[in-house]
Amino acid sequence: MGSSPPPVLQGQDLSFSVGQRVIFDGINIETYKNELVSIIGPSGVGKSTLLRVLGMFVRPTRGRVLLHGEEVTRPTPRIALVHQSIATFPWMTALDNVKLALQGRGLSKEEMEERARRALEVVGLSGFERFYPKEMSGGMRQRVAIARALAGDPYVLLMDEPFVHLDELTAERLRREIYDILFSEGSTLESVVLVSHNLNEVVELSDRVYAMRGSPARIVGELTIELERPRNQYNPIFSEYVSELYSMLSIGE
Amino acid sequence: MYGGLIIAAAALATFARVLAMMGLSIVTGWLLGYASLRSRGFESAYIPAIAVLESVPVIGFFPLVLIIFVERIGGPLGVEMAADFLVFDAVVWNIWVGIYQAFKTVPRDLEEVADNYGLGFLGKMRKLYVPYSIPRIAANLFPSFADGLFYIMASEVISVGVHTYEVFGIGTLLTGYVAGGQMAGIYYSILAIGVGVVGFMTLFRYFARASVAKYGLDTAAQIRRRERPAPRLGSSAWVTLARPMRRLSRYAASAVLASVARPVRSVSGRAPRLARAAGYAIGIAILGYIVYSSYRLIAAVPAATWSELLSDTPAMLYALAVDYGRVAVITGASFAISVLAGYYLATHVRASAIVIPAVQTIAAFPPPAYFPLIYMATYTYMDALPGGIGAEVYVFILGFLSTFYYVFFSFWMGVQSIPVEFWELMDNYRLGFWERLRRVVLPATLPYRVSGISSTVNSAWGGLMVGEYWPGVVPGRNLEVNVGLMKLLDVYVSQGYLHRAAWASLLFGAVVAVYSLLFTERLMNLSRSRYVVEEGIFAA
Ligand SMILES: Nc1ncnc2c1ncn2[C@@H]1O[C@H](COP(=O)(O)OP(=O)(O)O)[C@@H](O)[C@H]1O
Ligand SMILES: [Mg+2]
Repeated sequence: MGSSPPPVLQGQDLSFSVGQRVIFDGINIETYKNELVSIIGPSGVGKSTLLRVLGMFVRPTRGRVLLHGEEVTRPTPRIALVHQSIATFPWMTALDNVKLALQGRGLSKEEMEERARRALEVVGLSGFERFYPKEMSGGMRQRVAIARALAGDPYVLLMDEPFVHLDELTAERLRREIYDILFSEGSTLESVVLVSHNLNEVVELSDRVYAMRGSPARIVGELTIELERPRNQYNPIFSEYVSELYSMLSIGE
Repeated sequence: MYGGLIIAAAALATFARVLAMMGLSIVTGWLLGYASLRSRGFESAYIPAIAVLESVPVIGFFPLVLIIFVERIGGPLGVEMAADFLVFDAVVWNIWVGIYQAFKTVPRDLEEVADNYGLGFLGKMRKLYVPYSIPRIAANLFPSFADGLFYIMASEVISVGVHTYEVFGIGTLLTGYVAGGQMAGIYYSILAIGVGVVGFMTLFRYFARASVAKYGLDTAAQIRRRERPAPRLGSSAWVTLARPMRRLSRYAASAVLASVARPVRSVSGRAPRLARAAGYAIGIAILGYIVYSSYRLIAAVPAATWSELLSDTPAMLYALAVDYGRVAVITGASFAISVLAGYYLATHVRASAIVIPAVQTIAAFPPPAYFPLIYMATYTYMDALPGGIGAEVYVFILGFLSTFYYVFFSFWMGVQSIPVEFWELMDNYRLGFWERLRRVVLPATLPYRVSGISSTVNSAWGGLMVGEYWPGVVPGRNLEVNVGLMKLLDVYVSQGYLHRAAWASLLFGAVVAVYSLLFTERLMNLSRSRYVVEEGIFAA
């Protein structure tokens, strides 16, 4: 392979404590161009906290985060967060929710509008620009949140269990579309970090998986998933990946 | 010792009055709350009745209420009941609404369990509704206590013409000391009030904490809106200290909003609409009784006086307009400061852990008690100001001290309700300070600010009532503004022109009630329809 390409996002030696309690310790994570990387682990292990550290929403007790080799010190639109609890502003229309990501860039009104519309189109919400979140289903709201995250031209998208509050059918559909949405034509997005405790979901979506476990939590394994997309969970190789992740997470228990 | 025993006894009497009225409000609140769960008709009448009665600052009617009580019941008992009535009016609405909202948000599941085991009225009350309402009541103890103390200070002594009516209490004592320039008496009285305020507030705080720990429901919703991680703060003592209070306000807040949505659903249909009308009718009838009694005062004077009253009316309306201006300025200033301070505290966890309890305690200290000291220390400077400006400044100070608390805490509760996700989004997209305020913080706090608006406006009127005309605020000096309806009321009453006072009160009550009902109702509907921040988070 010769010289490997430079990483997009790097977390180096990340640790986080609350008082005396160490939540995770010495975690190293890297993502590369056009890669969807997942972090998997049981509930309460510290995945959400780690994700927030990667976006500097929460400062680590030790370690640092680099984007394209430069240290990240505070939240930036270049690293956009999509929440587990689907967060849209109820007093803003879908379009206004998306426009929020375009504030303070000196864009003209028309340009902002145009970009926000395009982002909604990418997530399949053309025609719903004037709808308020209340008038939309959970799946549509999460699409608005994703459109908002994409509109800000991020390099990295951090997704914290984005499907967990959707019913299974809606989640299934969004999962099927999400890869194409994220890495669509003209997108600036280079990598996605997805946090999940759902093994099937992770195997279906990821290029690479980190498994996180223990207290304090550490990365206990890494797995590259080489399967054609779209992936079929009834494929025996799919099941093998799932089993492999399962054993990574349960060794020594 | 400067009559130490008397001071202590008087302070106890005053605190006892306030606490007794709070207790009465709680017990009646439970009963009425239960009744409104049982009967939709009753419920649809109950809430509008509260809205009407709450919207009238009864302090504007106080002299008349006093006369009614003295006339009907007579003697010291009448005066005592008049003072108690005023305190009751000050504390009751918050508590009734709070209990009603708590009852309305009892989870269906728990109600079904209670039905399943065939619990009767007492069983349900004891096992379900009363415990469920405790955290909400606990949260309401702070503002109710503060409110009650404010009014008792203003109402223990009142002069009507040549008569002076007074009840035994620290307000009466303090008034005497101020009039006599007895500094030691003033200081000891204020000390006694201070000890009581700090003591009771500390007690309430423990109670609030314990009640949330014991009775608060740990729903998924609360876990989801977990503590915003404070950067590099660790688990310092301040954070642990702050948490119960923040959880409490959050608990109270979600109860506010839950019920904001619910009654709307229950007042559709024909019969409830009738009942709703009946509720307004009841509210208006109670006011009407006061009005009628005032009318009798007016009617008792010769017909010639009517023309006099009518010719006074434009001046009264003008004075009312000036007072509205004062209320607007006071509320506006409180609001601006609340927003800045509240935003700062929301983003600085450590500071808020100290400041919030401190403000709560200080706010319970009734401004009329210590205002003479402020006046004493500053009037020589104010005299240097031209015309009536000095008096305006004092009225503003008194109004501000009386009002700030309500504005601040309703805003603060709203800020606390903003989910952590929204703060993260604001950081993520690097919104500037004004953008944050305009797009997120102000809209998100709207329902809270609106639901606190009646208390706010009422307390502003209370401040004006005390400050616009205060003869002998320090010995030999009167505090009075040039124009103001509250001043007119005070002057008419103290000079014995009761028919004029009655007429002015009527104008005042009618204008204020109509205005605030229309105004708050509109804002309420607006904030209900779109600004419920909890709905910004979707969880299937
Ligand atoms: N600011 C904080 N204060 C207290 N505890 C925290 C804080 N941040 C994270 N934790 C704790 O860290 C642990 C991991 O939480 P989280 O990252 O949400 O786990 P996961 O997303 O894997 O379910 C939890 O036990 C949580 O209570
Ligand atoms: Mg999580």
